Amino acid sequence: MKNRSIALLILGGFALALASPPAPTRAADPGTVVVSQGVDIDTLSPIRTTITPTFNVLGNMYDYLVNFTNDGKPVPNLALSWKRVSNTVVEYKLRPNVKFWNGDPFTSADVKFTVEKIKDPNYKSVQGTYVSEIERVETPDPLTVRFIVKRASVLLPFQRQRPYIVDSKFWQEHGDAYMETHAMGTGPFILKAWKKDEQVEMDANPNYFGGAPKVQHLIYRPIPDAAARVAALKTGETDLITNVPPQYAISIEGSRTTRMASARSNRQLFIAFNTLKPGPQQNKLFREACNYAVDVPAIVKNVMGGRGYELQSPIPYGFFGFDPKFKGYHYDVAKAKELLAKAGYPDGKGLDVVLNTPAGRYNRDKEVAEAVAGYLNAAGIKTTVRPWEWTNYSNMINRREEQPLYLLGWGGLPQFDPDPIFTPLFSSEGGIATWWTPEVDKQLADARYEFDASKRRGMYQKIANEVDDAAPWIFLFQFEDLYGASRRLVWTPRADEAIYGIEMSLKQ
Amino acid sequence: MTAYVLRRIFGAAWVLVGVAVVVFFIVHLTGDPAAIMLPPEATQADIAAFRHAEGFDRPLYEQFAKFAGQAIRGDFGDSLRHNTPAMGLALERLPATLELGFAAMFIAVLVAVPAGIVSAVKPNTPFDFAVRLFALLGQSGPTYWIGLMLILVFGVWLGWFPVSGIGGLSHLVLPALTLGLFSMAKLMRLTRGALLDVLHSDFLRTALAKGVGSWRLIGHHAMRNAWLPIITQIGVELGTLLSGALITETIFAWPGIGRLAIQAIYDRDFPVVEVVVLLAATIFVILNVIVDLMYAALDPRIRYD
Repeated sequence: MKNRSIALLILGGFALALASPPAPTRAADPGTVVVSQGVDIDTLSPIRTTITPTFNVLGNMYDYLVNFTNDGKPVPNLALSWKRVSNTVVEYKLRPNVKFWNGDPFTSADVKFTVEKIKDPNYKSVQGTYVSEIERVETPDPLTVRFIVKRASVLLPFQRQRPYIVDSKFWQEHGDAYMETHAMGTGPFILKAWKKDEQVEMDANPNYFGGAPKVQHLIYRPIPDAAARVAALKTGETDLITNVPPQYAISIEGSRTTRMASARSNRQLFIAFNTLKPGPQQNKLFREACNYAVDVPAIVKNVMGGRGYELQSPIPYGFFGFDPKFKGYHYDVAKAKELLAKAGYPDGKGLDVVLNTPAGRYNRDKEVAEAVAGYLNAAGIKTTVRPWEWTNYSNMINRREEQPLYLLGWGGLPQFDPDPIFTPLFSSEGGIATWWTPEVDKQLADARYEFDASKRRGMYQKIANEVDDAAPWIFLFQFEDLYGASRRLVWTPRADEAIYGIEMSLKQ
Repeated sequence: MTAYVLRRIFGAAWVLVGVAVVVFFIVHLTGDPAAIMLPPEATQADIAAFRHAEGFDRPLYEQFAKFAGQAIRGDFGDSLRHNTPAMGLALERLPATLELGFAAMFIAVLVAVPAGIVSAVKPNTPFDFAVRLFALLGQSGPTYWIGLMLILVFGVWLGWFPVSGIGGLSHLVLPALTLGLFSMAKLMRLTRGALLDVLHSDFLRTALAKGVGSWRLIGHHAMRNAWLPIITQIGVELGTLLSGALITETIFAWPGIGRLAIQAIYDRDFPVVEVVVLLAATIFVILNVIVDLMYAALDPRIRYD
């Protein structure tokens, strides 16, 4: 009797194991592409989340009014054209004959509904920032939308931040809770199933207004561990993996079936000084000394395996106002020591600073921080690295409590405009800025509303000069985003980190 | 017997209440999810509004009172990340965790008990040394490393098994082996030790003198006495395996409650953390009660009257 109960327990487990569903589609299936990011989506509602990997999935099912080319030029999508009617009114003309998957026509009512849903306090969207400048939405006819804004800025509403457009009719019929786990979009792929933490499965939408996708089935299957992602790519279980640690690049590139794909990301990595708190970081000479003390090209080469681009100016490569001739700080220990002495810290006497860093948020973040600390120590600035788990870290950043030095990355900006970099990071308006001056504040506000492009370019270059001079950061580098792909997949990575199935095809 | 079971269930309820309280305060003391849920460019006003809407600006005891009030009625709240009921999210993932846990235990017992017996019956032979070495490695090898090595060898090099995700039986092999290895090693040593103890006792010598055949001696006389610690260990191990294997589920992208728990902790998704821990505690407590009851069945000297 006793042995039997154990046997039953064991057999029960085995039966359970046998009863599991059949194996899911392998990536090697013709017409099927499997993408593996680190995390699963948090919701199917495109207007309640702000998580990049979720947007990468939902971007296949939903559309923006305006798309951006890989170098930041706005191009028509659900909207065909846009113009300023007056200083506070912006008008979008919508694409006719666009249908949601169920046949519902796409109209201006859907745009209005989308904005109002995000603004609805009961809906608890975290995208409020995306539409906060919009006071109200008018729909003079089904194919015209007017946004009434508080003040017209150079970046139009729905181009600074871009909510996806949802089906107002379908949404109202089914309610908010239903839309967390169901989708109804205009996009190139139609949702087939979402099994949480397992996969999101989509089929091509043959009636997509932009033309049917070349890939028949698109699957996003999350694999949290980076090494396991690489293994799954090598076994052919997946076609595309994100955030490949640089040390795996050689083995992926060297394989007959896999290749590396990379793009110069517009995400820049820097170490900021919290000048709101007392300490040596309030002294400009100290901040400059730190910049001269760090050999950024060596860090890019040795820590990032060469996968990065030294940052010269606060306006990164490719952004509006970027000046290729601009020269920032360079590695010069003698100069660093001279500045330290001038700042009142001869040979770093009395200095003992903490360099805070997230561990695991950005590719090699902690390792970069350790390398920077090594250089600072060598220059006489006693530095200790303190790694943090990302949630605690971002809470600290939000409360501006991290000090005196902290590592941060900033990017994912499709419109390549400096305002979404400068305003949050270098102005008193910004939620997380830890350095600003009244002069830069004013210039930023003026530049945001300056419509003359060449004038505006000059304004940002002037701001960049002032920021560089004040050295609120140790300027590090721009990332190269690293992807691993199967050789049968034809796809080019984008600078804004988005992954779209419509841009993929398979070699026969 | 019935009185004993009722008493244990009543005791278990208090354990769960204690767990719920401790988890609530630990998780809430590590900060709220505003920073991770809002876009990085959110203003201080946006953050304040979010905290207010979710009630994170209220004193902790007030938040706890609200949570406790709802939990008593079986409502553990909605996940902050998924905006759907936390209990539903956890229950959805439970079958995957049970599948993996039972499979791991199945492999562990299947190998460990026979190997342990042989090694005890023939101590200090090459086989015994092999078992002991394996047990040492199995218990000291980090799960993360073992998992990746199995992936490398059986997935990437040999191509025998898929390396990630859930699916048919083939998907189960590597994660179950990874997860089961630790328990296997433990059970092997335990079986060997328990049986060795019994083999030296007087009643066995008597049985041997009576002329009982050697395998019958082991199976019928010795193992009956050795089972007790083994069953206890199986119960405890099973409790651990079934409450979500954080590392194994993460490496093999297995959609179980362990992975849900990790993500929820990173996101400060309070309701989900609370539910997953409660669920794990419940499984653990239930298994403990079952093990205690099995004692009575296995050992006629134990009675729960």
